[in-house]
Amino acid sequence: MSTKAAITVHRSPDEIRRLWQTEGLRSQHIADSGADVTFRDAPGDRGTEIHVDLGRQPPGGKLGEKVQELVATAPLAKVKDELRRFKQRVETGEIPRSDGTPEGELAERKLKQRPAQPLSEDEREKVGV
Amino acid sequence: MRANVWSGRNTVQVENVPDPKILNDRDAIVRITSTAICGSDLHLYDGYVPSMKKGDILGHEFMGEVVETGRGVSNLSVGDRVVVPFPIACGQCWSCRHELYSACENSNPNAGLAEKAFGHPTAGIFGYSHLTGGYAGGQAEYARVPFADVGPIKIEDDLTDEQVLFLSDIFPTGYFGADLCEIKGGEVIAVFGAGPVGQFAIASAVMMGAERVIAIDQYDYRLQMAANKAGATDIINFDEDPDIVEQLKEMTGGRGPDAVIDAVGMEAAHGHGALHAVDRVKQATRSESDRGHALRDAILACRPGGIVSVIGVYGGLMDKFPTGAFMNKGLTLKAGQCHVQKYLPKLYDHIVAGHIDPAFVVTHRLPLGEAPNGYETFKHKQDECVKVVLKP
Repeated sequence: MSTKAAITVHRSPDEIRRLWQTEGLRSQHIADSGADVTFRDAPGDRGTEIHVDLGRQPPGGKLGEKVQELVATAPLAKVKDELRRFKQRVETGEIPRSDGTPEGELAERKLKQRPAQPLSEDEREKVGV
Repeated sequence: MRANVWSGRNTVQVENVPDPKILNDRDAIVRITSTAICGSDLHLYDGYVPSMKKGDILGHEFMGEVVETGRGVSNLSVGDRVVVPFPIACGQCWSCRHELYSACENSNPNAGLAEKAFGHPTAGIFGYSHLTGGYAGGQAEYARVPFADVGPIKIEDDLTDEQVLFLSDIFPTGYFGADLCEIKGGEVIAVFGAGPVGQFAIASAVMMGAERVIAIDQYDYRLQMAANKAGATDIINFDEDPDIVEQLKEMTGGRGPDAVIDAVGMEAAHGHGALHAVDRVKQATRSESDRGHALRDAILACRPGGIVSVIGVYGGLMDKFPTGAFMNKGLTLKAGQCHVQKYLPKLYDHIVAGHIDPAFVVTHRLPLGEAPNGYETFKHKQDECVKVVLKP
């Protein structure tokens, strides 16, 4: 199983390096994971590639990998969520939310989608929107 | 509010659901005045698009009046009359900045799901499965419109709902299909499918200067609409003669059309002989999601060096892709969900100027509560149905 994830954000490397450390944007999860994070200038004025390498296998060997894939909480899936959320916040100023995934991109939601209809007041409170 | 929800294969029902609320600063809430059933909704209805959930509100063609705006929406005011494009686009990612709105990199909050199916996520779409975000659709009394500062177009001229409603999808989609054909004047364009999108692809190819436009379908009433309203110069009814490829060659002096538009997609009805039977069985047993007969014939019919433009919706995989014809004839294959936002201003101007009146496709008008009947009538082509408009 790959331990690497990457995303391209439409901002210059200098800006991304600064935003990556900015409160409200920085990913505590990636910082805590001890992952190796590198920034590269993307070709053709596309912004900056952010590369994250977890650099170690998840516990539990092959079986552990499979279990984590199924429950979609594998460290890498979480890292991908965090990268997408960073990109969304930087590029759009918000985390896009749908009725099926009201929290915004969330690996745990992959297999437990809400129906695509508006949330009741109780549900909105639970999700915090 | 009342909304039309998917509740399993071949079943939709109008139910009471919670009213939508603003969830993000760039949202708006629209009170829907007109909405339509799209041919691609039938793929959901028929159960061929994965990741549908019981209770999903359908509908991605809608318009109405803005009743609430989030703090980040300064271009719209309460009371504005708007048409909402079906792809949800942030306007700020690299794809949006290059007018590839249906490839928006941020608007699909189920990117992880979409990646598994398509390799990459694509834009969110209203009411169109959880692979495109799990957004509630517009066959309802109200809808929440994310990124409302980017998508909706304000209607300020004295035009009826039916004249502008189809800016949400099928007019731009048909136009996009013709645009992909790189028409410069004098071409022969063949359009598979004379449904609503096919009608607009034909009308657009004519507007762009194609010399001949050939409509292909199995229903005479649709072919008559194509010839009399959309401007097709020739028609082929494959119910009378199923060998479309030979007919197209004969009609074009053996050359084949310069470009072919597939406005059919994954549930191609035509086809002859063994291959169609195999497709039907494989799709019914869910071992092939896409019945690819229209696309195969499009590739076989197109002239060497020509363009095949795919705007009919496909969802997964098809068998027997004619790689030999595709490669040896040096064809260009182009496709996509339409980048609606790119085309809106230009197409709106065409309507205002009277170059086209998109209302010509409407055959049925029903109250929202009769949406289930609308789906059945449209699916089975009853009562010469081409397009159903629902009024909430």
